[in-house]
Amino acid sequence: MDAFILSQYVLSGLVIGVIYGLMALGITFIYSIMKMINWSMGEFYMIGSYVQYALLAGVLGWSLWYVALPVAMVSVFLLGLLVQRFLLRPMYVGGVERRDEYATIVTIALMVLFRNLAIVLGGPNQYAPRDYARATTLVTLPISGNRMVALIGTLVLLALFFLVIKTTWIGRAFRGAAQNRVGIQTAGVDVLRLDMLAFGVGVALAAAAGALLAPDFLVYPENGAISTFKGFEIIVIGGLGSILGSIVGGILLGVIEALGSVFLSPAYKDLYGFVLLIALLVFRPTGLFGERERTV
Amino acid sequence: MINALRSFLLAVLATVALTSPALAQGAVKIGVLTPLSPPGDAAAGQFIVRGAKMAAEEINGKGGVLGGRKIELIVEDDSGTPEKGAAGLRKLASQDKVVAVVGQFHSSVAEAVQDLAEQLKVPVFLTQASAKKLTEKHLNYTFRTHVIDPDRVTLWNKWIQQQGFKRVALLAENTDYGVGLVEETKKQFVSMNVKAELKTMIFDRAVVDLTPQILEIKNWKPDLFINIGIGTPVYLISKQAYDVGLLPGTPMLISYDAPARPEYWNTLGEKGTFATFIVYYHPTMKLTPRGEAFRTRYLEQFKEQPVYGGLNAYAQVMLLADAMNAGKTDKPEDIVKSLLANKFVGWNGTIAFTRGEGPYWQQWTPPMLFLQYTKPEQAFPEAKIIYPPELKTGDLMLAPKR
Repeated sequence: MDAFILSQYVLSGLVIGVIYGLMALGITFIYSIMKMINWSMGEFYMIGSYVQYALLAGVLGWSLWYVALPVAMVSVFLLGLLVQRFLLRPMYVGGVERRDEYATIVTIALMVLFRNLAIVLGGPNQYAPRDYARATTLVTLPISGNRMVALIGTLVLLALFFLVIKTTWIGRAFRGAAQNRVGIQTAGVDVLRLDMLAFGVGVALAAAAGALLAPDFLVYPENGAISTFKGFEIIVIGGLGSILGSIVGGILLGVIEALGSVFLSPAYKDLYGFVLLIALLVFRPTGLFGERERTV
Repeated sequence: MINALRSFLLAVLATVALTSPALAQGAVKIGVLTPLSPPGDAAAGQFIVRGAKMAAEEINGKGGVLGGRKIELIVEDDSGTPEKGAAGLRKLASQDKVVAVVGQFHSSVAEAVQDLAEQLKVPVFLTQASAKKLTEKHLNYTFRTHVIDPDRVTLWNKWIQQQGFKRVALLAENTDYGVGLVEETKKQFVSMNVKAELKTMIFDRAVVDLTPQILEIKNWKPDLFINIGIGTPVYLISKQAYDVGLLPGTPMLISYDAPARPEYWNTLGEKGTFATFIVYYHPTMKLTPRGEAFRTRYLEQFKEQPVYGGLNAYAQVMLLADAMNAGKTDKPEDIVKSLLANKFVGWNGTIAFTRGEGPYWQQWTPPMLFLQYTKPEQAFPEAKIIYPPELKTGDLMLAPKR
């Protein structure tokens, strides 16, 4: 195999890996603040793709995808606020026992509800928005305009996210909550309100991935399954709660899947990530960037 | 006086009930077990339900079966997954007490369903499941009125030979259907002495990014690409193959009739142009009077051409009604006997079930045609028939270079 062809496979893995990173970022962000796993993350990805498609097909027209994208994100952000306020917040108030089980049951119920709502409202068929941009070439890789837009969009969103987390007051509050929820309350931060915001931001990131990938990965009721599936794989590889880990884990997973499916067999594409995951669990159980939890 | 009147009325009602078995026994239930949600091919399931419902309406409009009993359809979603299919069949047989089940679409689901149907003694009809092994098992309660994979492969191999393709790549999903087609193609390439190189790849049906596999195929430089995805994967492959530049320059054959559906152009847009695909029905085909009547009513009701899945499900419910009437029975085991003993009018010919060799067991095969779209948004009736030679209305058109 010559270097040109090899570079195509590596690049294709890098591109999808960065996009996987966006899928995982929301999960890890919500976990780091709220210390809960959101099993319905893929369904927020799915809702983002549906909102994007509905806006383009019914309101804005196909060319205004860049207007629809923030609207889809804001819509899902608001939905996330409502879900957090009315379904998840009660478990943080009044010393609820078995909080993890509560979160698992509520978010799995949401997953089933949203999938079935999508079938009822949109039917079981797939939809696809028109292309966001013309096909192009990324170094040696021929790539669809949609994938290129998704790549650039992901990089922009990641940069914005890091900027907010590192430089703003709210970002510092998030980082504080991630380190010690009780500690930041002593500093006067309303941690319940912060939870609501974190959940909204996390699901809006998933919605952005859904909206960006809608033309390539299509819009249908179960399209979020891949987001949840890959997202959890990545956060274990990268380290639960580590934002950098979700990006590096995503890229690593994308490249390993691409090379594995070319050099070994495409029939077991999903297996290669799991082999990596198991190896990490054996040799570094906290993941690449995770830290061992210290409790007193 | 009132007591006497009440006694008289009760006596009349009892007499009517006892002398009219049709009224006494209620409706005859037929199950429709088909994919109506992902990951199954939900669009296919919807067309199958349409056809079955139209058959039930027609039968009931003409007085029902077995001397006046109505047909009642019980629709169940198998989601294209074996476990849901098996659960659906168990419910239909045990709870709803259906006399037969139609609508099976995915071969992997059909395999789970047919084994259970054999245990529960319920006839099950494969409407669009084509894996060879489904009828090769020689089960008593499985019937099929759809093509089988070896016939599909024989036809595309003949087409490959006629067109003189030299490098053929297959990308197939990891289901009984996909793997079966790959194995059969390899086998028949040898037995038919096809003078072409073959590259086959099997992918996981749950995967949405197929770029690395398609890039590998593109770099192999095939002169024919066969897309063996079902439901969402058929569209993902087509889109991603176009995006990396494999299409439209390389001719693509889609292994079944998905492009005949209206959703094809909605999903693919201009990327769907120049695709060749296999169908079992074309609007120019001559149908039986029963098939013609269905086509006319379908056009009136849905303002679009019927799709094969609808026609086939319609014919299966109709022939089940005919089998019940011919055998004067609603007992599943007697329906099986009647199905084997009689001939039935289908949508495009006479259907008879014989117990032939290999996969030709309780199997009836419709015709197969290769169609090609040559313009974006081309209507299905306008697609040219490019194979077989005796039916063709046009030649394979190659896309201009991008």
